[in-house]
Amino acid sequence: MTALAVRGGRKKSSGGLQIGRPSFLWSLPALLYFVVCALVPLGVVIWLSFTSWNALGSPAWVGTDNWTSLFHDATLIHSFKVTAILTGLGILTQTPVSLLLGVWAAGHERNRAILSALYFIPLLMSATAISIVWLSLLNPYYGLPRELHWLFDNSLLGHGYLFSYTGTAIGVLTFVGMWQWTPFHTLIYQGGARAIPEVLYQAAAIDGAGRVRQFFSITLPQLRNTIITSVVLILVGSFTTFDSILILTAGRPGVSTTSTSYYMYVNGFEKFQFGNASVIGVLLVVVTTLISLIVVRVSGWDKMRSTQEGV
Amino acid sequence: MSVSRHWSRRTVVAATLALTTAAALVAFGAASSSATTKASSARPANKIVVLAYGDAQNKAEQWAVDTYNKTPQGKKVKAVLQTIPGANYQTKLQTIIGSSNAPDVFFNWGGGSIVQFQKAGLLLPLNGFMKADPKLKSSFLPSILSAAKIGSNYYGIPMRGTQPVMLFYNKTLLAAHHLTPPTTWAQLLSDVAALKNAGVQVPIALGGADQWPTLMWFEYAYDRVAGPSLVTDALNGKSSVWKTPDSTKALGYLKQLIDAGAFGPSKSWDSVYFTKNQTAQMLIGGQAAFELMGSWYYSTVQSQSASFAAKELGYSAFPSIPGGKGNLNDLAGNTENYYSVLKNTRYPQAVAAFLKVMYSPAFVKQELALGNLTTTTNTPKLISGPTAPYLRYQFNLIKKAQAFQLSWDQAWPQTNSNAIHTAVADYFDNPDSNAFASAMAALKPAG
Repeated sequence: MTALAVRGGRKKSSGGLQIGRPSFLWSLPALLYFVVCALVPLGVVIWLSFTSWNALGSPAWVGTDNWTSLFHDATLIHSFKVTAILTGLGILTQTPVSLLLGVWAAGHERNRAILSALYFIPLLMSATAISIVWLSLLNPYYGLPRELHWLFDNSLLGHGYLFSYTGTAIGVLTFVGMWQWTPFHTLIYQGGARAIPEVLYQAAAIDGAGRVRQFFSITLPQLRNTIITSVVLILVGSFTTFDSILILTAGRPGVSTTSTSYYMYVNGFEKFQFGNASVIGVLLVVVTTLISLIVVRVSGWDKMRSTQEGV
Repeated sequence: MSVSRHWSRRTVVAATLALTTAAALVAFGAASSSATTKASSARPANKIVVLAYGDAQNKAEQWAVDTYNKTPQGKKVKAVLQTIPGANYQTKLQTIIGSSNAPDVFFNWGGGSIVQFQKAGLLLPLNGFMKADPKLKSSFLPSILSAAKIGSNYYGIPMRGTQPVMLFYNKTLLAAHHLTPPTTWAQLLSDVAALKNAGVQVPIALGGADQWPTLMWFEYAYDRVAGPSLVTDALNGKSSVWKTPDSTKALGYLKQLIDAGAFGPSKSWDSVYFTKNQTAQMLIGGQAAFELMGSWYYSTVQSQSASFAAKELGYSAFPSIPGGKGNLNDLAGNTENYYSVLKNTRYPQAVAAFLKVMYSPAFVKQELALGNLTTTTNTPKLISGPTAPYLRYQFNLIKKAQAFQLSWDQAWPQTNSNAIHTAVADYFDNPDSNAFASAMAALKPAG
């Protein structure tokens, strides 16, 4: 609260306290890290995208060959569609669930604390472990589909052969993604919901607002910035999701779950065409950056408007 | 003014976030520096690095390194064993072999798995070692040595065992339905039909999600119908063989089996892995009766149920196809694993001394105890212990075999694996012989 007040004050009075702006030096470590770990490799990858290289010998300059051939690559175009679908489904499933759970978990009762602690367990597990566990659980011959055949034995769920059809394979990825990531976003929403001043609810209660009304008129608007943060994280995260696809579906059946990042892996480490893989890498950087910018712009996150102005 | 400044700062933060994530992701592509051949003097002193595929069998490799280190040569130049676990072996090897971290001696599958390294001038021909120590050549079966021969030069010394693909079955399940393991294609189809009628959901387990187990069916069908020459021709760049009547015929036999529901309902195999022990569980649990798999299947089943492996696991050769040009005794699989040597190793004499261990009887015994059928000429004399019947059966298979087809995904250069796997998986999902022929014709052989 204090920090917010100070920042708010600084915005209005330019002359007063000179608390703010640390010198440029302070950003040096972060900047150094960014240059060494992001910009330099990015530069190398851009250069590699104009070469042909199979990890043996030296890369050979081929000009824009990789670029032109990939723009005619049907699988690459398809992979962007797959990525968009997985991202959209990720946002649609993870956001409502984690929002509701987060708001629920924000309460201070002991049972909520215990249940949410249990619920956060997937956060501690590696994506690889989670994917391997679900792969076994969803095996058609000795996993859940066999035990719960009354639930799985219909064409909607591929008669239990979940990894054999496009729809069900995408469903599995979405479900496992939700299982894995909802706890993380719940945590964000829990923090956001706990920061909402109690007085707002007290005032609303006096005015006769019920629980549902309070949720829609106070909680949701107050969580606006939290929602944007969470959605941006899901967006960028889904675009670069790779491990769960590698383990659960390996981009199959056919190429129907081959996302752009997985296709980059296939090009680099299965076909050993690092030039093509680099083109896809560069495309991914451009697309994720653009999308983040658009979201930030459209949502007004950049306007630095606090949801608590006037409270 | 201040708004626009804030806009840009915020934007930069967001952009930075996105960029860091994405850039970190692509960074691995650039992780290894440009791979120029380093001079041998730049390599570590008094040390040779031995690189192996990391798994339960490393016990024997460690034993070999320890044994070498006790020899006079080993006391001067020490050998160090490094391993890369699991399926990423070939990938990581390719990433380091051009760098200064390249191993002096490394595990491989011969054939297409080393041809690119040879072409890049990274491998040491072993003919010189063999001249100095004739036993390095005469101790191994010639057909096995020649699978790691490129041109007139030998590039690999066998170091594990040969891995033929066999048709495994659940003895109890077959006996319960009064069936015997098939020796002909017609019998295989009738076994499948009988099992289906008896309510066995999946007569033949297939780890289609891994794709390479599907490939084994093609290797045998093509060999039985067309004989080994078709694939040899294809490997020599004659892509038209995939459109010949023999090719279409072999594919037709596979379609028969798929349509008969031998592998379960269409596409069901795409949800099943061999590598996660799923198919082994199906065989053990009696949900499936057969599985076509490499000789390592014995240890896979053993790891799931030792008693099943000992008492109920049966094995037989792939059935014959009447009228086909292939021999019933022909085999497919992984010929062997080999040690190849880096050309600019700093201590070739130490490497030669290390390779001598590979044919010593004590080392062969280490391998046999792990269930690996070594390919030294003295192997039959040394077989003993609980795995002896299984090892003897394989040894006879190999002795009788007139041709041993190296797995296609290892016979072709590594860059084609993905295309081969996709082609076979697509054919099983949607048996279209033209599409398969075109996909195979598009492969790039080494030449």
